[in-house]
Amino acid sequence: MTRLSDEIIALSDEYVLGLLSPTEAALLEEIMVRDTELAQRVGRLRDRLLPLDLSAEPVELPDGFEQRLSGRLSTEPQLAAIETSRVTAAQPANLPVAPKKWVAGLMAASIAGLVAGIGLGGMQEAPDPKVVAVLVDAAGVPQAVIDDYGNDTAMVRFVADISVPADRTLQVWTLPSADMGPVSLGVLDGVAASRLSFEDLPDPNAEQLYEVTLEPLGGSPTGRPTGPIIGKGFAADQI
Amino acid sequence: MFAHGFRKDSALSEDLDARARANLLFRAIADCTAGKGAGVDAILASEGAQLLGVAQRILGRRDLAEEALQDAMLQVWRKAKQFDAQAGSARGWIYAILRNRCLNILRDGKRLSTLPPAELASLLEARQGIVPDEGWEILAGPSRIRDCLSGLDSQSRHIILLAHVAGFSHAEISTRQDVPLGTIKSLIRRGLQALKECLT
Repeated sequence: MTRLSDEIIALSDEYVLGLLSPTEAALLEEIMVRDTELAQRVGRLRDRLLPLDLSAEPVELPDGFEQRLSGRLSTEPQLAAIETSRVTAAQPANLPVAPKKWVAGLMAASIAGLVAGIGLGGMQEAPDPKVVAVLVDAAGVPQAVIDDYGNDTAMVRFVADISVPADRTLQVWTLPSADMGPVSLGVLDGVAASRLSFEDLPDPNAEQLYEVTLEPLGGSPTGRPTGPIIGKGFAADQI
Repeated sequence: MFAHGFRKDSALSEDLDARARANLLFRAIADCTAGKGAGVDAILASEGAQLLGVAQRILGRRDLAEEALQDAMLQVWRKAKQFDAQAGSARGWIYAILRNRCLNILRDGKRLSTLPPAELASLLEARQGIVPDEGWEILAGPSRIRDCLSGLDSQSRHIILLAHVAGFSHAEISTRQDVPLGTIKSLIRRGLQALKECLT
């Protein structure tokens, strides 16, 4: 039994095959950095498919190949090791810092042009979202990704297995400003990827807060979040 | 009796080879993390020709294949500290970096547009033949994966090989096979699921 959703497992398989776009692959790599189980699944499938690569006819390296390479190494900076505050099934990450680190990682990735089209990959040309938010639970484990396109449309996808009791429903919220308070972006039928349409919200800002809560069927009776938080996170601006 | 003993020895020696190689690559990556260029040399000495062969098969041109391998080895050097031995083998990690680099070259329209049109056309044509309709077995090598691939229906197998061996995208496979994108995507998912179960 795994806590990963079928969707993220299928995406990680496609990642190993090389079927994700560079931006989708970058987002999956971000998730793998935080999630040992996902990283191990990827490594295992990679190793099992390796004989396919080993069936290619070897080609001798041309003279001087190693020398050309070593000339380039000396000027190439090395990246630091990944922080080992990874999440494992058995051992949740340290609570206060983990979500912040994840958001910082995603912000850095967004600067490199990361656009989270993950899950739509190859199915259709998605417009570029204005902002992307990764919603994490209290342990810092990614639960959902929200792409907000502006113009009152957004997309939510769940990247963890979330069980919704029969008498509850998931509801997506955002906080456009402290004055407006939390505003519902929609009530979801289930945990399938869903497109959300709403009305008359200002276009999203970088660092706007998004969250998903568990509410009574039909959505929160008060128009404000009342139930437990499934995940929350700040938007990262897309370039 | 003799034949039996021989097979056992040969399996044993393959196992030793595999372990020696795994140790060598693991140490090579450790050298890279310590900033020693000898790590990269050791990887190339052990895997260089095979890696270049993979790049040549996907990209179809020697100059692009060499460029991909140079770039991939630079990435191995840069990312060495991020290699996680708990998540899979060093060999799998290195080949994955090379394949990703090859795919990025293929999917970077700007990179390929520097080729003269006739050369680009012949590259694209050569790519069409990487995965033959018949005789796919040679692409899998002599291993368990071949048995598992032969257990798949021929359409799923062909599509999975087009993706992994030739580096075609969902959209390219859809156009090439004249099958809707959604169908391609679900054939791949189902095929991979069956393949993973068989390989477990």
